[in-house]
Amino acid sequence: MGVFENKFQDNIVVASLDKLIGWARSTSPWFFQFGLACCAIEMMATAASRHDLMRIGMIPRSSPRQADVMIVAGTVTLKMALRVKKLYEQMANPKYVISMGSCATSGGPYWQHGYHVLKGVDLVVPVDVYVPGCPPRPEALIEGLLKLQEKIQSERPLTRKTA
Amino acid sequence: MTVNLEQLIKEAVEKALEGDMDAINNIEDRVTRSRAKASLVKAKREATKEKTETSLDENSDATSDSKKDKTSNEHISELLIQQFPDDINKELSSKKHIQIQPKNWLVISRYLRDDPASLFDSLQCITGVDLGEESDLEVRYNLHSMTHLHAVEIRISCPRNKAKVPSVESIWRIGDWFERETYDMYGIEFEGHRNLKRILLPEDWEGWPLRKDYEVQETYHGIIVPKVKEGWE
Ligand code: SF4
Repeated sequence: MGVFENKFQDNIVVASLDKLIGWARSTSPWFFQFGLACCAIEMMATAASRHDLMRIGMIPRSSPRQADVMIVAGTVTLKMALRVKKLYEQMANPKYVISMGSCATSGGPYWQHGYHVLKGVDLVVPVDVYVPGCPPRPEALIEGLLKLQEKIQSERPLTRKTA
Repeated sequence: MTVNLEQLIKEAVEKALEGDMDAINNIEDRVTRSRAKASLVKAKREATKEKTETSLDENSDATSDSKKDKTSNEHISELLIQQFPDDINKELSSKKHIQIQPKNWLVISRYLRDDPASLFDSLQCITGVDLGEESDLEVRYNLHSMTHLHAVEIRISCPRNKAKVPSVESIWRIGDWFERETYDMYGIEFEGHRNLKRILLPEDWEGWPLRKDYEVQETYHGIIVPKVKEGWE
């Protein structure tokens, strides 16, 4: 137990398991590291030392198997849309998606004439949080991530849902 | 102090230009030394610039006056007209480009690359152009010669429904990807290309997006393509 050894009496923590699971999940949402366009640069800046995503428990993972959150950062072309969908399917449950930037949300600058751009990533995968901006500042992305954490925390995975 | 430094640098550079690099290398202070080196490079560059300018002047003086105000396009087009009289479309050519027929393009391009007078060793760009729904498609080639430092633009037009142009991928290797891109966007077929398939769009894409009469496909693998979120504007 390292530093805590012999410092405390024997302890018991009482918590509801539901909340405990929510707390554990929400404080370590590892995100899937992939960028599609200019927004990815801003996502990298968010993960780098100045904004430091590690302090809210987020580490970039290079494999969908190890990731909980997929940040769709950038323009989703139709060619890529199929791959994004496949990557989403490869992630283990529970999984969350953040649509970062106006491209991923609605097609952005390619809304009207982009013959090759998917008009919103929510057409292929379910999105939990939309972060607007072109590109969103790191602060905006962090705000979105905190919102996602709130959402995860409020989930009650063990409570039976009643209609 | 600064005056002294500048003086020191100037002297060192002058000595170095005469071939004595030690004058600079012996400067103790690192900053001063690098400043001296920088001004040496500058001085050398200016010297070569003057030289080439004078040599260019000499060259053009030596050749006839009529040649002097000709663009390299006109010059090359004269060469081509001598060699391939039937393939050059003189009326459509201008000071800035040479219009040729597609038929012998492979032979002409080889000539352009290998002839000592043209020596176009680099193909800088291939562009496709759609001249309008009623008219033809056009392919434009920008060629540049590293030896002669001249450049030309070649244009070849082809009918919209039978867009076929000989491939120059075997002449300039870079043509491989340029031609695939032009094929991808305009559907111009480059005959003789060894691997002519789409380069940017997915292989099962329908249509040629940069043509004027292109219509966006409705769905792609079950995904709706045109904008669907009405009321967002
Ligand atoms: S939303 Fe803007 S910054 Fe982000 S990928 Fe699209 S164009 Fe680039």
